[in-house]
Amino acid sequence: MKQESGELTAAQSLDIIAAMIREAKSNIRSNYFFFLFWGWVVALANLGVFVLQKLAVEQPYLVWAITIPAWIYTLARMVRGRKTQRATTHFDRISRWLWMTFGVVIFTLVFFGFKINYQLNAVLLVVAAIPTVVSGVILKFRPLVAGGAVFWVCGVVNFLIPMEAQSLIGAIAIVCGYLIPGYKLKSKEG
Amino acid sequence: MFKDLDPLLHSQLRLAVMSLLMSLESAEFTFLKEKTNSTAGNLSVQLDKLSSAGYIKIDKSFKGKKPVTTCRMTKQGIAAFENYVNALKNYIGDR
Repeated sequence: MKQESGELTAAQSLDIIAAMIREAKSNIRSNYFFFLFWGWVVALANLGVFVLQKLAVEQPYLVWAITIPAWIYTLARMVRGRKTQRATTHFDRISRWLWMTFGVVIFTLVFFGFKINYQLNAVLLVVAAIPTVVSGVILKFRPLVAGGAVFWVCGVVNFLIPMEAQSLIGAIAIVCGYLIPGYKLKSKEG
Repeated sequence: MFKDLDPLLHSQLRLAVMSLLMSLESAEFTFLKEKTNSTAGNLSVQLDKLSSAGYIKIDKSFKGKKPVTTCRMTKQGIAAFENYVNALKNYIGDR
């Protein structure tokens, strides 16, 4: 692009503005990785707990320990991503804070689980509906909005059913809330 | 006919940079250079002009050992860009 090559016309100015706005549009749907990654981690944890319960294994909830390396990997990937990212969109910033806040809320709820009679399966699903729906709205991607709604419905269901069946509902919720939208995002990206 | 248009924005490269930064939270020098298809020298001069006018903020930092220049729009820059677009709309509307 040259500088000061004669006076710009109004049409040329508008063309430049429109072209640059198009250039600035990042592929905001490229965030499917975390939906797939956490979708599989949480689905496996839920199914693991369900199966271990059926097998009468003691302390089946210890399966959730697989989320510890998952968190470490997530943080490492986020740091690496920021190092290679050359431009940040407004969506990137909102999304980062939305999911970081969600992470803090999850840790808080898990830490104080004993205060709410360990109704974590239900509470976490209801809370998970918020960032999922908001991300869907920002991305203008309906499967994520629908996934968030499924989280909420499954959360309500988990409040009403026995503890033993809650992990299965949790697995269904994560498949609908993260995995299906995640794979749809991936296929759109090509 | 363009007397109401901010002369600082009414130039190809500066307008392109401001349009990019308007859509972004922040952008690195190399990103702006690539998207505007400009030379490093020219872009550097134009960024300095925008920065001197208070339209953009330039931060210099390091990513590892690599120096990185990051630009972001200021509130003053956003207002100037909006005024420029409004003046442009008025001009087109008056035709």
